Amino acid sequence: MKFVDYLTKIDRRIIYVILLAVVVLPLLFPSALSVRVMPPVEKLFHAIDAIPEEKALIIDFDYDPQTLPELEPMGFAILRHAFSRRIKVLALSLYVQPLGLAQNALIQVTEEFNSTAQTNRDSVIYGRDYVFLGWQPPPLIPILGMGESIINVYRIDYYGNRTDTLPLLKEIKNYSDIALLVSISSGDPPKWWVEYAQNRFGLQVGAGVTAVSASEFYPFLQTGQFSGLAIGMKGAAEYEELVDNQLHVAGRRKASEALPSLTYAHLVMIAFIIIGNIGFFIKRRQK
Amino acid sequence: MKRTIPLVLVFIFGLLGFIPFIVPHEIVQSSDDFLRNNFLKILAAFALILGLGSLLRVHIDKIKRKGQNWPYSWVLIITFLVTAIIGLFGGVTGQGVLPTRIGSFSFDIWTIFFNIEVPLGATMFALLSFFMASAAYRAFRARSTEATLLLVAAFIVMLGVLPLGNSISPHLPSFAQWIMDVPNVAAQRGILFGVALGMLATALKIILGIERSWLGGGGE
Repeated sequence: MKFVDYLTKIDRRIIYVILLAVVVLPLLFPSALSVRVMPPVEKLFHAIDAIPEEKALIIDFDYDPQTLPELEPMGFAILRHAFSRRIKVLALSLYVQPLGLAQNALIQVTEEFNSTAQTNRDSVIYGRDYVFLGWQPPPLIPILGMGESIINVYRIDYYGNRTDTLPLLKEIKNYSDIALLVSISSGDPPKWWVEYAQNRFGLQVGAGVTAVSASEFYPFLQTGQFSGLAIGMKGAAEYEELVDNQLHVAGRRKASEALPSLTYAHLVMIAFIIIGNIGFFIKRRQK
Repeated sequence: MKRTIPLVLVFIFGLLGFIPFIVPHEIVQSSDDFLRNNFLKILAAFALILGLGSLLRVHIDKIKRKGQNWPYSWVLIITFLVTAIIGLFGGVTGQGVLPTRIGSFSFDIWTIFFNIEVPLGATMFALLSFFMASAAYRAFRARSTEATLLLVAAFIVMLGVLPLGNSISPHLPSFAQWIMDVPNVAAQRGILFGVALGMLATALKIILGIERSWLGGGGE
């Protein structure tokens, strides 16, 4: 085979092996890459940072195992931010699949804080500082229903406790007590929160989405319907950077750790596309 | 009658879903609250049963007919039944009446989810990156002006969002952000308006009974 033909017909197995190497090697031999925080993530950080003491933050955990590596680090970073600023948190999922992942994030971040807490006041306590509302199908019920009354929609929480007995939900009754909702999702839920909860009740909405779906969410950011937007693993790494630098909250930065793999994988893809196009142009000129 | 009742129900509930957004009166709002918190929950439960029943029926039929890849239907039915039994009687974390632990081996829903579904789901999605890389290499060619523009924009956005982009030029991330903020938003907004108008027209057609294909009669 001519060299030019080779450029346009590289065996897919070679591409797979090179891609595998550039993804795995940086994970085995970690290196740090500096992260420049972009305005959409900065806006989300400041929107959460500005939540007043008497109001709460709702985090909608709507990622599944498929998008876990991209979106879970956002969930961790936002929870660390909220707990470090003593912001009250209500967690929920619109689908059943993310429930276990949401619970996992809440348990891990709570343990991080409680392992260094000196007093009861420093600790993150269930019912006082955060509540996991769980899942209430179909999605329209909680999205609209919480505008009237949260405890009417979620009569029991994820653990089976009556919500009207939880101290946090005696203070936080409906969307008028919520400063911001952040939907961390691999699908359409961030739009639903805008379409129903924001349009009808004026709820402020932020979003954390996958990189592949990001382009469709930009119009909502531009109009101000989203208070901020974190996109993909890079967005999660940017948020981790802000939490680490501005709040000095320690914790494993999974997105930042994976960023070298992401970078090198993109470079490999760019290189292969360029190689393919060089071959394509040479062949076209020869014809 | 078989067609009239569904059409009347769709008309009534279509309006009931629409009116609370434009009429703030207390009676309208409280009726809407009642419908959502009670009626819709019951409907959702029935829909779940219907969906699961339909799923099982499709796969049982496939096994009977020995359709394409029919052995996988057995996998679906068996895993469906096993997880349903464990979930219903064993509880999410093994606190139910059905024992979900043999010695140190646990098989409650939580364990099944984190040890089977999470790795399988992540693996399936991870494989996509390999196919995408191969497909991008083969298909992403600057064959025309439009394709070249797409290619250049893709390179700028890819490099701009990476940490490396800032090292190449501090303007690169800002330019990538501009592409996402301006040309991308313009195109997305056009699509959104088109889709929204289409949805509005379709919703009106269904509520008013003009569009009837959902009844199974092909719009007659």
